[in-house]
Amino acid sequence: MLKFAGKRVGMMIISLFIIILITFIMMHAVPGGPFTRERELPEKVEKALNEKYKLDDSLPEQFFDYIKGLVRFDLGPSFKYQGITVNDFIENGFPISAKLGGVTLVFILLSAIPLGIWSALKNGRWQDGAIMLIATLGVTIPSFIVATLLLYLFSYQLNIFPTYGLESWQSYVLPVLALGGYSMAFIARLMRSSLLEVMGQDYIRTARSKGLSETQVVVKHGLRNALIPVITILGPTVANLLTGSFVIEKIFAIPGMGVYFVDSVGQRDYTAIMGITVFYATFLLVMTFIVDLFYLMIDPRIKLD
Amino acid sequence: MKKRIIKILSFVLIMSLLLSVFTACGSKKDDQGESSVADEEASDDITEQPEDSGEQKIIVSLNNEPDGIDPNITSNSFAAPFLANCFEGLVTVDENSELIPGLAEKWEISEDGKTYTFTLRAGLKWSDGSDLNAEDFVYSAERVLTPETTAEYVNMLSDYIVNAQEFFDGEVEFSEVGVEATDENTLVYTLNEPTPFFLDVLSMPVYAPVQKATIEANGDQWTLSPEAYVTDGPFKVIDMKMGESVTLAKNEHYYNADQVKIEEITFRYIKDDATALSAFQKGEIDCARNVPAADVPKLKAETNDLYTIPQYATTFYLINNSVAPFDDVNVRKALNLALDREAIIANVLQSEDMAASALVSPGYSVDGKDYADGRSDYDINPQGDVEEAKRLLAEAGYPDGEGFPTLELSYYTDEQVKLVVEAMAQMFKDNLGIEVNISNEEWAVYFENVKAGNYQVAAMGWGADYLHPMTFFPLFVSTDQLNNSFYGNEAYDSAVAASKVIQDPAEGIVAMREAEDILMADYPLIPLYHRSTNLLMNGRVKGWNLTPTNNFYFRNAYIEDSD
Repeated sequence: MLKFAGKRVGMMIISLFIIILITFIMMHAVPGGPFTRERELPEKVEKALNEKYKLDDSLPEQFFDYIKGLVRFDLGPSFKYQGITVNDFIENGFPISAKLGGVTLVFILLSAIPLGIWSALKNGRWQDGAIMLIATLGVTIPSFIVATLLLYLFSYQLNIFPTYGLESWQSYVLPVLALGGYSMAFIARLMRSSLLEVMGQDYIRTARSKGLSETQVVVKHGLRNALIPVITILGPTVANLLTGSFVIEKIFAIPGMGVYFVDSVGQRDYTAIMGITVFYATFLLVMTFIVDLFYLMIDPRIKLD
Repeated sequence: MKKRIIKILSFVLIMSLLLSVFTACGSKKDDQGESSVADEEASDDITEQPEDSGEQKIIVSLNNEPDGIDPNITSNSFAAPFLANCFEGLVTVDENSELIPGLAEKWEISEDGKTYTFTLRAGLKWSDGSDLNAEDFVYSAERVLTPETTAEYVNMLSDYIVNAQEFFDGEVEFSEVGVEATDENTLVYTLNEPTPFFLDVLSMPVYAPVQKATIEANGDQWTLSPEAYVTDGPFKVIDMKMGESVTLAKNEHYYNADQVKIEEITFRYIKDDATALSAFQKGEIDCARNVPAADVPKLKAETNDLYTIPQYATTFYLINNSVAPFDDVNVRKALNLALDREAIIANVLQSEDMAASALVSPGYSVDGKDYADGRSDYDINPQGDVEEAKRLLAEAGYPDGEGFPTLELSYYTDEQVKLVVEAMAQMFKDNLGIEVNISNEEWAVYFENVKAGNYQVAAMGWGADYLHPMTFFPLFVSTDQLNNSFYGNEAYDSAVAASKVIQDPAEGIVAMREAEDILMADYPLIPLYHRSTNLLMNGRVKGWNLTPTNNFYFRNAYIEDSD
């Protein structure tokens, strides 16, 4: 186990390095620089800015400097926002994104898994049809449409929930539904199909013939195996939810990290692009790692070496 | 078997543990901002029941965060609401866009028009209560002119003040620059040339004083916390939440604090205009600074809260004057005449914008006479003149568009611009019989291509920095960095240079109009319209002022009790 963990951490560091390198190269390959503002800067000011942010150095030098900062957890100053560092973006934005994402994750787990199970147990009946219809809609309708519809209906027309921000518990309802809709629908479908598959296996028949009650069969024998695909998908889902969504944060005016991630690319805010990518990549790698560890614990048939 | 169930349970437990950690992070943040959350709740109350509360607090949504709010550094238009309310320079503008005394009580201009002597009001103070005097202006100028400051509007000083450029280039000491505090309350600017629009330039935030003490103590962090952000204007900052909001409160040390009625302004970033609109309609905010363009016609019919304010700005299309066939004035004129600007404004933009037939926007007036009054339309009438356009194109050697290469029409990625460009392309096709190819790129790439001359006809625009026609003219001066049209005409260059130094404002207008006549005879651009901006403001908020140069003043604003 320890050997496995050590190996994986080593792999993660290598993956991360490759991600940093590719992001760095691609970022500099895209035309347009960070100081193309809405208004043209005087040449001499642009020169001073290039000097200030060391953009006159050669690319390898810049890359090396970046890595040197990174090992000290210093993600550098934002090229766009004066006096603000990329660490500030993450320190300010991540807790907000993570809080919304965390609530959404709880909502997804508490709704998608029971719905999927119920749907599988009522396979072919109207309950199954209804749940799957909603789930299919959830997977196919993009979140910005869901968000806009929810806002229009529950905030503007019915005036039940506030329009923007995360100031009260009520203000969580709409963003959580919009943010979690897709994952909830996806996981419910996954749970259903996976449970249906498992329930057709021989060992389930054996369990039934042992005289176990249906509940015991489902919970003890069916679910445990059926949950594995769901756990697989949870790694990236958790990473996605907690690091913030551009669309949802923009529509509900939530000051999380998602908006900066997308805006920084358009603005060629080099350090912000790098820093947020590194943060997101690390998060994703760690989540995948945790999920793999759980496989080991849950299913002894899985060997990770 | 049980063991495995325990494992599953432990997975769920650990997951929820992780979650609670994140949630805890989040709630910690909330605790820090507890006082301001309470404030917001209080202001929610007044939104719902304005008549019951005498509280002078408003919430204004902005759809973009400024890249900084240092008045010396930023040229970002999103910073304007903060700078206009937190900083005041020697002069400022009133609700009629007339220049009025700001921190200066009065000023004298020498006969040769090159020396400006300002007398400051007595007893001026910073928002932290310390004294503000003429030396603070000198410090601010020195800071702007130091290259490491990276002041984006440095040209507004270095172009006019004696030895300012030389100091920036490291050739002279600052003591030789033409900014001097002759005593505590007297400030003298010495200029290279008589510059009749210097007072207009001087009203820009880049000329506002900044406090040396806080900048030396906090470095580039001085704009990032309410305590460090020392201001001299009607308001100061009391709360900042990155990416979320900035709250201003009345500055008790402002010289005219008695007249400032608004106690608090919360600028809340709502980056989606549709969200801001519904928040406004529900009364959650008092003002939506940006309105979705598609909703404007409907709002105009339905509410009195929509304000359309003409901006001192021109939206135009650059023509690359250096490449064939656009090096032919007949081709350029034909492109100008082939457009039905009225139809674009009425049907595509559905706005109150004004069809443009020249570079300089109306809005600057002397003795009640606008610069644009009586100006020629240079044959560019709002409906266009298709017959004449065709004739000109034939004269250029392309009868009915035959043999004309496919016109490349480019724009920066923007939904509204896209609609305009498509309409223009259709008009070029229908009216001139030429093929048009449309392409777009995001701004950072687009602007680089335009500067490099990789375009034929390209969407562009100019929002004035200060309220004087001279802000527009450099765009086509052959040696100016801002000129991206590859147009050069010595007669125009010298006419601009000559009109710059004419001290009498009325004579100045005449000279500038002559310069513009020279320019427009060459049709080096396609002026399209002079734009307006829309905002929604709750009717109970009075006395606010959005200027044609996009400064959003609340110093005279107040909330009127509705009963």
